Amino acid sequence: MNFSWIAVWEGLPLLLEGAVLTIIVSLVAMLLAVVLGMVAAVMSQVRHVIPRTVVRIYVEMFRNTPLLIQLFIFYFGLPQIGISFSPFVCGLLALTLYTAAYNIEIFRSGLEAVPKGQHEAARATGLSPLQVSVHIIIPQALRISFPALGNNLVSLIKNSSLVSAIGMVELTFMANDISFQNFRSFEIYGTAVILYVIIVLSLTRVLGVVEKRIFARNT
Amino acid sequence: MEIRAHTTNRGILFLLAGILLASSLVTPASADTLEEVRERGELVVGVKTDFPPFGSISADGENVGFDVDLGHAFAKALFDDENAVEFVSVTSGNRIPFLQSNKIDIIMASMTITDERAEVVDFSEPYFLSGSLLLVPEDSEISGVDELNGKTVAIIQGSVQDAFVEERAPDANRVKFGKVSEAVLALKTGRADAYVHDDIVILTVAQDNPDLKPVGEPFEPLPYGIAVRQGDDEFSAWMDEQFDKMRADGSFDALWEKHFGDIKDNLIKPDSAEQG
Repeated sequence: MNFSWIAVWEGLPLLLEGAVLTIIVSLVAMLLAVVLGMVAAVMSQVRHVIPRTVVRIYVEMFRNTPLLIQLFIFYFGLPQIGISFSPFVCGLLALTLYTAAYNIEIFRSGLEAVPKGQHEAARATGLSPLQVSVHIIIPQALRISFPALGNNLVSLIKNSSLVSAIGMVELTFMANDISFQNFRSFEIYGTAVILYVIIVLSLTRVLGVVEKRIFARNT
Repeated sequence: MEIRAHTTNRGILFLLAGILLASSLVTPASADTLEEVRERGELVVGVKTDFPPFGSISADGENVGFDVDLGHAFAKALFDDENAVEFVSVTSGNRIPFLQSNKIDIIMASMTITDERAEVVDFSEPYFLSGSLLLVPEDSEISGVDELNGKTVAIIQGSVQDAFVEERAPDANRVKFGKVSEAVLALKTGRADAYVHDDIVILTVAQDNPDLKPVGEPFEPLPYGIAVRQGDDEFSAWMDEQFDKMRADGSFDALWEKHFGDIKDNLIKPDSAEQG
């Protein structure tokens, strides 16, 4: 059996269609996971024990269980207790919560990396604790943690392939669907691999540009 | 720095393109799998594990089913030892790639013979005739495939029903899953209004799940065959011989009775399968 360029050519439009959903899901999930991660990381720094414990439990639950199982719980499990989201929402929710658990750890270490002296100096100028957090600590923590988010974005894009298991028609689903019909596994999965590389490289580049834009004026 | 990172990215793409191109020049050696199997002393068969009564896993973790028993019968014919056979779990989607990449010798996985598949694998003579049926929740009002427009229909990725439903109910929203168990779960949790698959699996699932019911008449009857790699003519001829022997000595009928006895009235009769 020979390599068929025709199979690649014929599969490409559908694969690109799937790639669009992969990009959308990954970008939206990343955006939500960054916001959620930041909020929860700040919560984990609060002196009160309850918010800290809640964040801890959340992080350990989502980081230490397979994403596929989480997806199945959202998709197959929740309807059984009367809560039913669309497949898209289920996929987005699972990817967001999973990625946010990792983002929390990144932001938390960022917050902890800001020298204590910054806090004390800011307080000494008469800023309130909230003002110190918002204007002094969090911006610095963000700058420290931002580069590490790139790794999480790469993982997220690859993890998004799992939502094919709940019937979401993204890149991996399309690759399965096409190769199950024309049996050109090598050509179709090979093309999907190249598309994933392009997506990952482009999106991490976008993240890099965002990072530069946001932090340029401070450096 | 910027420029170097850029060339690295481009380098990776060229490398990948190169791999694709190089692989287009490689052709696998032609197969004589029957000879290989005889030398190895063991037959490696791709079977379903989620498709009772053709292939499933028993409570104690053993492969069981009609296809599995056929595999044992073939092993007995080959090596006079019905256990000289290894079963590998496959799905509708991945069984042909498994065969093409030499992970298994033959596919005995409730596989419908279609023109598209016959272009990439060779088939034995048909050994079963299966139509398609709908499975719906007990209280559903759906009674046939023509009523599926506008409904959400669970389908197994890579199954023949994907095209059938697209043809007969073009406005149905087809949701595709990898395994029967997932499609059934989708039906039970209200994710899908109906599940369309081979009559035999629908009837078996309905037997085990009183909250689900099969509806309609079996449509688009198609034969099952055992798939071998292209060019393995000797192997498929050998299997046809085995089928003839088993039909003559009654062991094929015994297998039929063992696995389909409970539901045979709802199936298309085996005599028609023999005509192929």
